[in-house]
Parts: sequence; structure tokens; C-alpha cells
Amino acid sequence: MSHLRVEQLKYRYPNQTGLALDGITFTVNKGEFIGIAGSNTAGKTTLCHAICGLVPHFFKGAYGGRVLIDGNEVLTSTLSDVTSKVGFIFENPFSQLSGAKFTVADEIAFGLENLGLSREEMHARIQDSLHMLGIEHIQRKNPFDLSGGQMQRLAIASVIAMKPEILVLDEPTSQLDPQGAREVFNIVEKLAIEGMTIVMAEQKMEKLAAYSDRILLLHEGKLVQDGDPSTIFSRDDLLELGVEPPIYTTIAKKYGLCRNQSNSFPVTLEELLTFEFNMPLEGLSSTSEKQSTSVIQAEELSFSYPDGQKVLHTISIGLSNEPIAIIGQNGAGKTTLVKLIKALLRPSAGRIVIDSIDAKDTTAAKLAKKVGLIFQNPDDQIFKRTVLEEVMFGPLHSGFSKEEAKKMALLQLEAVGLSDKAEENPYDVSLAERKLIGVASILAMDPEIIIFDEPTMGQDYQGKLRLKEIIADLHSKGKLVICILHDMDFVADVFGRTIVMSQGKVLFDGPTIEAFSHQDINRQAQIEQPHRFQIARLLQERRGFVNQP
Amino acid sequence: MRSMTLYVHREKGSPLHRMDPLTKLLYVFTSVIISYVLADHLSVLLVLAVSISLLIAGKVARFILPIISVSFVLLASILIVQGFFHPDRATVLWEIGPITLYKEGFSIAFLILLRVLNMVCAFGVLILTTKPDELVETLIQKGLSPRFGYVLLSVLQIVPQMMTLTGKIMDSQRARGLETEGSLWVRIKSFIPLLGPVILRSLAETRERSIALEVRGFNATGKRTRLHRIQPYKYGFALKALLAVVLLSVIVWRIWS
Repeated sequence: MSHLRVEQLKYRYPNQTGLALDGITFTVNKGEFIGIAGSNTAGKTTLCHAICGLVPHFFKGAYGGRVLIDGNEVLTSTLSDVTSKVGFIFENPFSQLSGAKFTVADEIAFGLENLGLSREEMHARIQDSLHMLGIEHIQRKNPFDLSGGQMQRLAIASVIAMKPEILVLDEPTSQLDPQGAREVFNIVEKLAIEGMTIVMAEQKMEKLAAYSDRILLLHEGKLVQDGDPSTIFSRDDLLELGVEPPIYTTIAKKYGLCRNQSNSFPVTLEELLTFEFNMPLEGLSSTSEKQSTSVIQAEELSFSYPDGQKVLHTISIGLSNEPIAIIGQNGAGKTTLVKLIKALLRPSAGRIVIDSIDAKDTTAAKLAKKVGLIFQNPDDQIFKRTVLEEVMFGPLHSGFSKEEAKKMALLQLEAVGLSDKAEENPYDVSLAERKLIGVASILAMDPEIIIFDEPTMGQDYQGKLRLKEIIADLHSKGKLVICILHDMDFVADVFGRTIVMSQGKVLFDGPTIEAFSHQDINRQAQIEQPHRFQIARLLQERRGFVNQP
Repeated sequence: MRSMTLYVHREKGSPLHRMDPLTKLLYVFTSVIISYVLADHLSVLLVLAVSISLLIAGKVARFILPIISVSFVLLASILIVQGFFHPDRATVLWEIGPITLYKEGFSIAFLILLRVLNMVCAFGVLILTTKPDELVETLIQKGLSPRFGYVLLSVLQIVPQMMTLTGKIMDSQRARGLETEGSLWVRIKSFIPLLGPVILRSLAETRERSIALEVRGFNATGKRTRLHRIQPYKYGFALKALLAVVLLSVIVWRIWS
């Protein structure tokens, strides 16, 4: 008998017209790893909620079909019965903390106490899960003092300790930096090897391809296909469904590296490397035509927080003429640098001059027309009733008349592809769309310089494509675009110049292709090379190995 | 630690750190009641002295100073209002130019001041030497609803997180041209753009957190257990009995005399 069985599942959220899930049928056997792929509105999260009983027990709404766990129907079970069998991990590590426990070990105990386990059993399980997740050394720490990756591992430890039969993960790394994501994926891999039944929705297709026995491809609430990774990712219409195949498959398609008998493409690095081919490093990164733009000049810039913690150490750089990426680990000083440029912070020493304006002689609000800074989380700013009013807020506060502001707002909504949502409530659209609202609301002030902080986080293929277009368009209009990024593939694709930061210093500043060619710099800044660079390097090494007598 | 607790950790502990939270809670109660039942300065001063010596025994005396300084405005206003304007004013204590301080008012103000100080110090005995989770844990094991206990504890951690959030929101809105520095009117105007996202984000976060709580079986109906055993406190019964006797005798003495 299958472990999890979903039959003709249909679901509609309360007060919505369309179906979020439409006639979904599949089964999962014990020990299987099932991936869920699809664009941001495909229904991945809703399906995860349906498996762990939150749909319909928590979210209510209209429900049809059946979800069976070990033969028990979710609809007729209580939510606590379902959650005792199905563990659920979601994106935001912060809101998964109970908030009422003061140490990591106590946090894990929270669920166990609710289950009514004996003390001995609780202590044993806490130690087991701390060990499995590799967080024993922080068991006395306050959960709120952990890094994102540690917090997410704690969330997994807390759920694993309850010994669920199935683990459901909904984009567990989408809000983490690369280091945190690596930590979490290592754990997921370990759990999969140990035979845990796992269902994971994810945007990082390389990971889905590496772990999954089967992949469920969703589109607009429907199950398009249920098949093994190579079948799914070899589909020709994948991009139309808003899913970008693993980079290995894309390369294989480009070079025609196809397995003859099954007509399917490799989906993992190991599979790709079984083919003989040559991929030169040249042309792996973008170069853009130089334009005359605003100029930012940072001179011997230093910054320390009032508590004495030094974040930037005498940085001198000039930024102009082309889109520039800033990369580096968390804590490298990237966000501090752009906040200084935007005059949200004042330098401790040195100065920043933007087209002859010294940043210390102005305020962030007065700089609004000159420098636009787009933050990571759009929900930090959204408060108006309609998308249009939200986008008009910036222009209205930087001296535009109401008519002008409306005109600018509509223009930018069109640019980000949200014209048809102008009259909707910003909180009724998806997070990825809200991010684009955040972008539009800054662009509507028509600043000369646009700084993005982590724009690709949580974006699917379509969203990233849209961002690429926006950046190219801004550049062609003579605007200076600066982008803080963790997504190295995106850096290599879009930016000709890259600044690598580490521990408050600039380690490298120059052409992107060189930034990723210097392995010592990559190591020192603890950044990963883009996938294409990694493959090219492996191929080179292999040839070197073969050529040696 | 970014939580709102005032607990002061002492590596080697102290007699007060080892005392069980309930005894300390009863002490706070007893001490505050007695300071109000007694009406002469000397006795109240004595009660205050007990609280202060307990703080010293608990090695946390200097941590009460910031709390007292926070309540300084309140204390000062009591002194001024009572000292200058008490209706029974008759005997002049000092005269500095046009300002006259009366003895009756000052006497009452001083008594109130001692009582407030004692209240702060007595609460300090509890708060500075007791981990909040231990206190709530004890109360839960004595029958407090675990849900209510959860609310008490989560407020301590989640409020500071909201303050951090407010900082981020302020940056976001300033980046959109919202001026938050300057005249009072400028600040008032910036209130809604700052408050709006704080509320909306808190609501969204609350919803996510309630999902997390569901997943962790918070609404399960079976019997709950607790990870931590409350260490039995050797002198707990004796001390509680002593406190009860002292409280009762003071009350009885006050009624009779």
C-alpha cells in the first residue's frame, strides 16, 4: 500500500474564484523522494499544505477529492492527527520558531511536550535530532540569535524529533544565503539517504534533479506530469511552464548531449560529465556596452556601528557606466555600503560623492530622485490599499504632482508587467509580484542610480527573466544599476563588472569573468562559482588529467 | 540576547538564584502589601532594607539602579506634587525664593517614594534572579494554562523582534522619499507609512507562526508533558510559611492597633 495517496484533489481558497489545485492525483511510496516543480503560481505551496492537512483544516475553502496518509483520510482526521504523521517545513525560518523557548534544546522540546512524551524520551529525541542536524554546539543558544541557516536547521530538528512518517519541505532555502542553503540541503540529502519519505517543493532545479526519485510538474494548479527527473527536465515546453531546467540539462541540450536510447538529457553534474564535450570559459559572462551615467565615488570610506563593530575598512571605489554586481558572504559589508550610498547611514570616516553631491550633506529622502534603493523584502514598505497607490507613494513624496506621479506609476507598472493588477490590493498578489511592486515603486521616482538588494531571492524563472529585462532597459536609458546578489548564475549572465567583498574590504573589482576565474578570491570570499564556470573548470581539469602521460 | 528579559546570569548562582520562583513571587506579594499596610516611615524603610539586602545577597544589586532611574521621573513628580501642593500643607520645611516646600506633603511624598522603591526592589528580587521560562514553567505546573504561559513568554521574545523590524521599515520608507527626521509635523506625517507595514507584517507573521504551532501539535488535545522538572526547593515550604505568617501578623497587628 502506498504511504501517501492523493486522488482527484481539487481546492479553492476562501473568497477566490479560481481553483488553486485542480484534479491532482499521485501516490508516494515509503522512502521515496518526490520533488514538486512549477512557477510561483503553480500551486506548489497549496499542495504542500494539502498533504499536511493545513488545507482544508487551517485555510478552509472548497475542497474535493481525497488525500490519504497510510489509508486515513486527511479531511476526516483532526489536524493534530495529520501533523503527528506529516512534518512540515516552510520558507521563513524566523516564523517557524515557537517564540516561547529560550534555548535551542527547549525549542525542539516544544512539539514533544505537546505530544505528551516522557522526559527520558524527550531528552533522547532532542539529542538525536541535535546530532543529526549538526547543531549540538549551539543547543544552549537563544533561537533568535541564530543565523538563517541555523534557524532553518533548528526548524527541521524540531519537526524531525516528532518522528513524522513523511516530511514536507516547501522551498526551505528560498530565504537563505548560499551558505545557509548549503547547510540545509546537506541535511535534506542526509535524510533522503536515511530513507525518510520526503516531498519537497523547490526552485533550485539542480537540487531537485539530484535528490528526487520522481518530480511532479505543476502548472496553474494542474499536474502536468509525474515522472523521473530526466523525463521531466527533457521536456521542450518547460520554459513555457515557467520552469528553468537544471543548468546541466540546458548545457546538454545546447551541445546535443542526449542519451540515444531514451531520448532524455542528463540532469545532474555526474550525468553530464559522462559525456565528452568541450566548453570554453570565454563567453560565459556578459559584457555590456558602456553608457555615460551618474558617478558614485567612495573615498577611503569606513563605517562602524555605535557599539564599535567595524563593518567597512577604508574602501575606495568608483561606480559608473555599466551595471555592477556586488557579491560576498553575509556580513561582508555589502548592504552597509549601499546604505551609505543612499545616506541611510553616515560614514565613520571618508566620504561618498554622487555627481558632486556629498552624501553627508543630504538625507535619504532628499536623495530619492538621485538614488533609488530597492530592498529585499517588499513587505517592509507596502501599506496602501491598491498597487497603484503604493507605487505612487514615492513620486508623491519626492515632489511630483499627483498627475505626474500617476503617469510615472502606470508606466513602471507596465514595465514590471503588473498593469492589470494596478487596482488590486498589494497583499492579494504573490510575494514575487510584490517584489516587482517594490521595484516599480522605486523606479517611479525616476532616479539616476538604481540599487537592488537581492532582487532574485524567491523569484522563479519568469521573475528573473523580467529582472534581466528591467536591468538592461535601465542601462540603455543611461541609468547606473548596482545589484547586491547571492545568485552567481545571475551575476555571470547579466553583469560585466563585479565587485567581490569580504570582511568589510573590496577583494576584487573588475570584469566578471576574471572575478570567477580567480579561485583564491572565490575561496577567500567564500563564494561559489556560477554553475557554468564549475562545469568548464571540471572539463578543463579532466582534459588536463587525460593529456598527462 | 535580544529578548526583553532582565534576568542576570551568575555563573556560580546565589542563594536567591537557587530559590524557587514561587517563593520569590510570594515574597514580592508580601513585601508590597506590608509596605502599604504599614504607615510609618521607619517600618517601610525597614521593609525596603530587607528587599535591598536580598538584592545584595543575590549579587544583583547594581542591576536595580537602571530600573530605578527609569522610574525616577515618576518618583520626582510625586515629590513635587505632594511636597508643594498637598492640601494639608501647613508647616514650611524650606523656602527657596517663591517656592515653598511643606512638611506634611513632603512626609507623604517620602512615604510613597519608599513604597514605590520597595516595589521596584521587591520585583527586582524576582525578575533579576529568575529566568522567565522557569517562572512561567513553574506557574504552568501549578495549573496556569499552557496557552497563557505561551503568550507571556512569546511576548518577551517577539516584541524585540518587532523593534528590529521597525528599523528596516523606516529605511524602506526613507528610501522612497519619506522624511522621518525634522519637525514634529514631519514626524507625525511619517507615522502611518511606518505603522502600516509594521501591523501588516506582524499579522502575516502571526499567521505563519500559527501554522508552525499547528505543525508542532500545539492544538493537540492529549495530555502535555514538560521537559524540565522543577527542582524541589529544600526551604520552599518553610520560607513560604514564614512569609505567610509575617504577612498575617502584620495585617492583624495593624487592625488591632
